[in-house]
Amino acid sequence: MELQTYLNNMMDPAGLPFYPLVFQVLLVLTFALHITMINLVLGSTFVAIWEVGKKTTYSLRLAKALGRVITVGLSIAIVLGVAPLLFVQVIYDPYWYTATTMSAFWAMLFLLVVTVAFYAAYGFYLGNRQADTDTVSVRWAWISLLMLLVAGLFIHMLTMEQLEPQMWKKWLIGQHGVVSVAGGEFHGISLGRLLHFFIGSLAVTGVFMMLYHWYFRDRADYDPGYLEYVSKTGVKLAFWSLFPAIGAGFWWLGTVPDGFHFASNPFFLAGAIMGVCTTAYIGTASEKPAEKAIFSALALFVTIFIMCCAREGLRMDYTGAHGYSIFNYRVNPDWPSTILFFATFLAGLYVLCFPAIAAFKAGKAPKGQVVSLDPSLGKTAVGVMVAWFAVVAALGLFVSLKNGVLF
Amino acid sequence: MYPFWEVPFFTSGIVIALIATFHILPCHLATGAFWFLVYVERKAVQEGRRELMEFVKRYSMLILIFCFVIGSLSGVGIWYAATVASPRGISGLIHNYVWGWATEWVFFVIEIASIYVYYYTLGKIDDKSHLMLGWLYAWAAWISMIIITGILAFMLSSGKWIETGGFFDGFFNQTYWPQLLTRTAFMFGIAGVYAIIVASRLKNRAVGHELIRTASIWGIAGMIGGALFGLWYLFSMPEHAKELGLQGGLPYLKHMLWAAGVCYAVVLAWFFLCGLVRPKLAGPVSAIFILFILFLGIGAGEGFREGVRRPYIIDQYMYSNQIIAHDLPAKGVVSEIEKYQEAGFWNSLYFRPENCDLETKSGRMQAGRLIALYQCGNCHALDRFGKMRPLPTLLQNIAPESPEDIADFMDALGDYPFMPPFAGDDKDKAAIAEYLFSIIRR
Repeated sequence: MELQTYLNNMMDPAGLPFYPLVFQVLLVLTFALHITMINLVLGSTFVAIWEVGKKTTYSLRLAKALGRVITVGLSIAIVLGVAPLLFVQVIYDPYWYTATTMSAFWAMLFLLVVTVAFYAAYGFYLGNRQADTDTVSVRWAWISLLMLLVAGLFIHMLTMEQLEPQMWKKWLIGQHGVVSVAGGEFHGISLGRLLHFFIGSLAVTGVFMMLYHWYFRDRADYDPGYLEYVSKTGVKLAFWSLFPAIGAGFWWLGTVPDGFHFASNPFFLAGAIMGVCTTAYIGTASEKPAEKAIFSALALFVTIFIMCCAREGLRMDYTGAHGYSIFNYRVNPDWPSTILFFATFLAGLYVLCFPAIAAFKAGKAPKGQVVSLDPSLGKTAVGVMVAWFAVVAALGLFVSLKNGVLF
Repeated sequence: MYPFWEVPFFTSGIVIALIATFHILPCHLATGAFWFLVYVERKAVQEGRRELMEFVKRYSMLILIFCFVIGSLSGVGIWYAATVASPRGISGLIHNYVWGWATEWVFFVIEIASIYVYYYTLGKIDDKSHLMLGWLYAWAAWISMIIITGILAFMLSSGKWIETGGFFDGFFNQTYWPQLLTRTAFMFGIAGVYAIIVASRLKNRAVGHELIRTASIWGIAGMIGGALFGLWYLFSMPEHAKELGLQGGLPYLKHMLWAAGVCYAVVLAWFFLCGLVRPKLAGPVSAIFILFILFLGIGAGEGFREGVRRPYIIDQYMYSNQIIAHDLPAKGVVSEIEKYQEAGFWNSLYFRPENCDLETKSGRMQAGRLIALYQCGNCHALDRFGKMRPLPTLLQNIAPESPEDIADFMDALGDYPFMPPFAGDDKDKAAIAEYLFSIIRR
C-alpha cells in the first residue's frame, strides 16, 4: 500500500461535521493562545531561578511573584491546550494518531512529566512564600524547569514525527521484518525549531514583566523601585532574547526542504517582519518599559499568531508533499452542533468578562481594601450560564421525547 | 489501521481504565464541590459567620491543587490513553462530537478563570460578587459534566444517531438522563468526603464538626440519589447490555456491579456513622480510607459501564477492535467487516513487512501475531502469563486440538453477544489460528 493511500484511507470515515477551514482557523488561534501561555510558564520558571541566584530583596520578591505565575499559568496552559489537541485530531487525524501510537510510551510518560512539573512548581511557590534571601530554595523550581523542558521535547518529537510520514515504515518495521508494537519510537528532533520555542519563552516572560510594572504602578503599597527593577529586567530580557530566538528560527528555516519555498511564504515573511519590528519597538522601551508594555505585548502576540499561521502553512507543505489535504475531507455539515459551539463561544467570552474585571480591579487595589463591583456583572454572567442550561435542557427533553428515549 | 500499542500482560485498555477511574475523583469533586462551597459561603455572608470562611479558603485551595492538577492532567490523560489504545475509536467519537468537546472546552476556560479569581479575590472583593464567582464556577463545572455525559452515554446507547447521524439524536439517548442524574448525585457524595477531610482539619473544632455534619447530609443525599438514579440507569440500558450485565451474559459484570454497590454502601454508612452521628470519628485517616473505597467503587462501576458496551466501543457503530461494525448511511460510512473478509485484513494493513510470506510457517506466525493484536489485543493479553483476559488461558478452556479448531472458533466468534466477528479472509484466519494455537498454555 502506498503512503498516500494510507493517509487518505485513515481519514475518519464519518467525515467532518463542518468545513475544514473553520477547524484550521480554530486550531491556529487556540494553539497561539496555548503556546503563549506555555512560553510564559517556561520563561518564568527560568527567570525565577535566575532571580533567586541574584539574592537581592527585589530579585527574591520577583521570583516569588513568578512562582504564582508559573502555577496559575500552567493550569491555564493545560486547559488552553485541550482545544488545539482536539482540532488537530479532527483534520490531521492520520498524522496525529500514527505518530502518537508509534510513540505511545513517550506520550504516556509526558503526562507523568507534566504532573511532576506542576507539583514541583507548587512546591516552589508554596514552599517559598515566607522565605527570605537566606532560606529560599530553588530545588523545586529546577525540577519543574527540567520537567517542562522534557515535556516540551516530547511534544516536539510527536509533532516532528508527523512531518516525516515517509519514515514511518522504516522506524516501525525492523530489519528482520518485525513490526514494533512497543510504542517506543522517538525520532525527528529539530534543534533549531526547539530552541526557537525555548528561547522565545524568555521574550514572552520579559514582556510579561513589563506588563507587571504597568499593572501595579498605581498601587501605593508597591515599591516603585521594585517595579522599575522588574520592568527594566523584563525589557532587557525580551530584547536580547529575541535575537537568538530569531537566529534559531533561521536555523530551523534552513532545515525545511527547499522545495517548499517556505522563505517566500507570505505568513512566514509577515511573521519575520513583525518579529523584527517587535524587537525594534521593545528596544525603544528600555527607558520607560511600563509605558510601552501594552503595545509590546500586543505586538508580540500578533507576531506569535502570525508565526503560528506560518507553522500551519509549513505543516500543509509537509502533508501536501504526500498528497494529503484537509480540504479533501468529506464534510457532513451538522448545523445544530456547530451553532451550539459558536453560540456558547460567544456567550463564554461575555461570561469571562466578569472574572476578568473582578481580577483586574482586585489586583489594582491596595492590600486590605475590599473592591466593590457592579452587582449586575456577576448576576448577568451567572444568568447566561443558567440560560444556557435551560435552553439545552429544553432541547434535550424535546429530542428525547421526540425519539421516545426518555422513559 | 494505525500502528498498534501493546501493553504486555494487561492490555492498553487497562491504562485507560486506571486513568479514567483516577480522573473521576477529581473531576466529580470539581463539579460537585462548589455547590457545597457556595452554600457554606452564603451561610457565612448571610448569617455573618466569618469563622466559616476558613473552610471556604481551605476547601477551594484543595480543589485548586487537586482538581486543577490531577483532574485536568488525568482528563488530558484519558484522551492520550484513548489515542494510543484505540485511535480509531477516539477518532470516531471526535469526528461526531468535536463541537460537543469544543463547547465543553469553553466551560473549562470559564472554570479555570473563575476558580483562580475566586480563590485569589477572597476578602478582596465584595461578598456578593465573590459569591457570584462561586456560582459561576459551580455552573460551569456542572455544565461540563452535562456535556461529557452525552458523549459517554452515546458510547453505550447511540439512539437514533445510527439512523440519522444527528449530533443531538446520539447525544440525548436513552441512558443520557439517568446517567447525568446519577453522576450529579454522586458528585455531591464525592464532594462531601473531601469537605469532611478539610473540615476535620479546621482549628475551630465546633465549626469543623458542624461542617462535617452538613457535608455528611449532602453526602448521604448524594449517595442515596445516586443509587436511585443508578437503578433507573440500569433499567434504561439497551437490551444487549442488560443481557450481558444483569442477566449473566458476562458473570464478572454482575460481580463488578455488586462490588460497586458494596463500596457505595460502605461510604454511605461512613457518612452516617462517622459524619452525622459521631463527627469526631471523621478524621483525615478514615476519610482517606473512604476515598480508597470510593476509588474501588468507581472503578467497579465504570468497569461495569464499559463492560456492558461490548462488543462495541461505539454502540452499533464500531467494535472494540476499532473495526466499523455497521453502515451509517447518513454519513456515508460503510461496514468494514465485509471489506476485510473479501480483501483480507493482512493485505489491508499499511504497517506490515512486505516480505512476509503467508505460505511459510514463519510468515503465518508473524502475520498471525499482528492480526491477533489488532483483532483481539484491545481486550485480550496475548502473553502466556497475561492478566487481562489472556488468550493463552481462555483458549486452553476450549481445548483445541489443531489450528483448524481455532479457525472454526473464529468463524463462530460473532455468535457470542460480547464478541465482534472475525474480520478477515481465509489466509488471515489460517495465520491467526496457527499463531493462537502456538501460545495456548499447556
